[in-house]
Amino acid sequence: MKRRDFFKHLGSAAVVAATVTPTMSFAAAKQANTISYKNALDAITGGKSAKTSKSVHLKVPEIAENGAVVPVTITVDSPMTDADYVKAIHILVSKNGNARCLDAHLTPANGKAMLATRVKLNGTQDVSAVIALSNGEFLIATQGVKVTIGGCG
Amino acid sequence: MDISRRDFMHIAAVLGLSAATAGNASPKTSSQISLKDIYAFNAKGNFTLLHMCDIHAHIKPLYWREPSTLLSAPNLTGTPGFLCGEAFAKHYGLEPSSLDAYFDTHVDFETLAKKFGKMGGIAHMKTYLEHVRKERGKENVLFLDSGDTWQGTGVALKTRGEAIVKAQNYLGVDVMTGHWEFTYGKQRVMELLKMLDAKFVAQNVVGNDPFADEYEELIFEPYTIEERGGAKIGIIGQAFPFTSTANPKEFTEGWSFGIRPDTLQDYVNELRKEHKVDCVVVISHDGFSVDQEVARMVHGIDFILSGHTHDPSPKPITVNGTVIVIAGSHGKYVGRLDIDAKDGKVLDYEYKLVPIASNMIPADPEGIALVNKLYAPFDKEFSEVLGTTKNTLYKRDTFFSTFDELINNAILDEMKCDMAFTPGYRWGTTVLAGEDILMENVYEMCGITYPNVYTFDLKGQQIANLLEDIADNVFNANPLYQQGGDMSRLGGVTYSIQVAGKAGKRISKLMIGGKAIDLKKTYVVSSWGGNLQNAGTNLQEKKIRAVYDVTRDYIKRQKVVDVSNAGNVTIVDYDCGCPVKGATSC
Repeated sequence: MKRRDFFKHLGSAAVVAATVTPTMSFAAAKQANTISYKNALDAITGGKSAKTSKSVHLKVPEIAENGAVVPVTITVDSPMTDADYVKAIHILVSKNGNARCLDAHLTPANGKAMLATRVKLNGTQDVSAVIALSNGEFLIATQGVKVTIGGCG
Repeated sequence: MDISRRDFMHIAAVLGLSAATAGNASPKTSSQISLKDIYAFNAKGNFTLLHMCDIHAHIKPLYWREPSTLLSAPNLTGTPGFLCGEAFAKHYGLEPSSLDAYFDTHVDFETLAKKFGKMGGIAHMKTYLEHVRKERGKENVLFLDSGDTWQGTGVALKTRGEAIVKAQNYLGVDVMTGHWEFTYGKQRVMELLKMLDAKFVAQNVVGNDPFADEYEELIFEPYTIEERGGAKIGIIGQAFPFTSTANPKEFTEGWSFGIRPDTLQDYVNELRKEHKVDCVVVISHDGFSVDQEVARMVHGIDFILSGHTHDPSPKPITVNGTVIVIAGSHGKYVGRLDIDAKDGKVLDYEYKLVPIASNMIPADPEGIALVNKLYAPFDKEFSEVLGTTKNTLYKRDTFFSTFDELINNAILDEMKCDMAFTPGYRWGTTVLAGEDILMENVYEMCGITYPNVYTFDLKGQQIANLLEDIADNVFNANPLYQQGGDMSRLGGVTYSIQVAGKAGKRISKLMIGGKAIDLKKTYVVSSWGGNLQNAGTNLQEKKIRAVYDVTRDYIKRQKVVDVSNAGNVTIVDYDCGCPVKGATSC
């Protein structure tokens, strides 16, 4: 049951994997691959504000077991019809050198606005899902993830 | 729910322990409290759940002093999970100097220890369990164990958990979950589970090695369904969610933990809709405050039998319709929960946290024989007298406790380091002032499967960052970002802390060896029981030695140990260790 679920997720991730845009081209600073959270968000939204929304379900652990592979699952409540669909799911983080982790472009043919992946976090920070809707609006959901060396038993 | 309060009054009255008479009446012995008072219970419903948690392998009775400092973020301090001393006594209505005050708080501990004696022990616990099984009918009773059972004493360490599995089989544990159990390693856990009569359940341990057959599969059964008293009881297991960060990863490589509230909700729904159970129980190692958050996130759980944070909670708390109980630590208590459930609903319940007072509840001879047999191969080593202690040695409190200071002193003395880190876990033992320190006590304090003391270099900046990181694991205002332990204990260091400060800004006046920390300087640091060595450089391999050996040798050199409870930490925003909710002083 769970295993099947997983392959289902993997399937939908594979669909979007083909359209993931490498983010290196956004590196504006001298240092390769560096982009701040604000610049990344502005590049996605064109400066428009992204609205915090309950229809964006961001699942990420509060405390990462391993900062190098932090599982992120994003699901957006959307009918995914030609008239109303999720155009893109972006994952941003607040403190990595490159804040822009992933861009996934979707079409109504995806059927479901869902994405599961892993991101690398270089320390405790926020993870955001930024959603581009077909009507030109942007939604956002954010959660803090603690990356800790651990301490207590 | 007032039954336990009435009990305290009763015991206090029997003992003549009211404040007015305590001063002039000659102290009465524990034998004057009748067993009836401890056993008294308003039996209810069709079945009984008996509960223990965090016994940490203490199959013999022990002294265990509760914390005199238990601070957290201001929204949490003074609430169940962060209550101690007088604030605890006030919250739960304990009579001063009563048996329950002795079990539940540090107040007057040494005097009361002499009066009431040691706590817990499987032989005494068994007598109580059998009393309830007889009263209710064996077929109507389940005994549940929330974990941290296999680890914490010399006999557990030396038999790699086996002695404690035998103790559980003797006690008749029906279902358990785990945390420190995992520090014996995956393979050993599976071996021990074959020897264990109880079922082991955990809905939040999932394979995460893509090359393993168990990838994305559950490692253990998520739940079990048991029938008692004509009711179907669904019991879901919740192992410690942060096992892979709080303990070395290598023990559970390929397993992922986490709270996993979404799958927990799925299993609650499955039990209710598909299996039509009458009652949903979670045996949990989340910790008392995290379980209060879990009850807010997950709907339809009737009871959470919590563990991990070692809180004795004489009264249940109810959050979002879920009743949460927790039964202290070290085998000091058994929780008795009578439930009336039928047609898929809990109609009523009654709870009491029963103190296992070893001077009052007679020992089961079979249990004594079992303990003796299990200890026999190690008696010679364990009973060696290493020295004596001038003051009471204990483990607990948010920042500092005397046994930790003794261990840090031993490390500083042998390793010649600038500072030492000792972990802030909450298990161990208590040695009363003036008593001998036995080798067994040293194992009870630091008998772990990864005992090495590592000595390495850290930059001042790294040390400062680490302390802030650890402080945020302990003091984050959101329990979901905490890991349920206390601050690491630092040797050779003093600091001030603003508990309610912002993450990364809590600590000030950090001094190492009496001098303000130099962020650019390289310090020689010794550490055990954690992962800090991975962050350091220049590991001194020749110095690596087990902490229990380092501590043993130091106590033998000292002969008389003199550690005061003065502490090395100044708390900026609280004047005392046990404030009531909303207060910063006592």
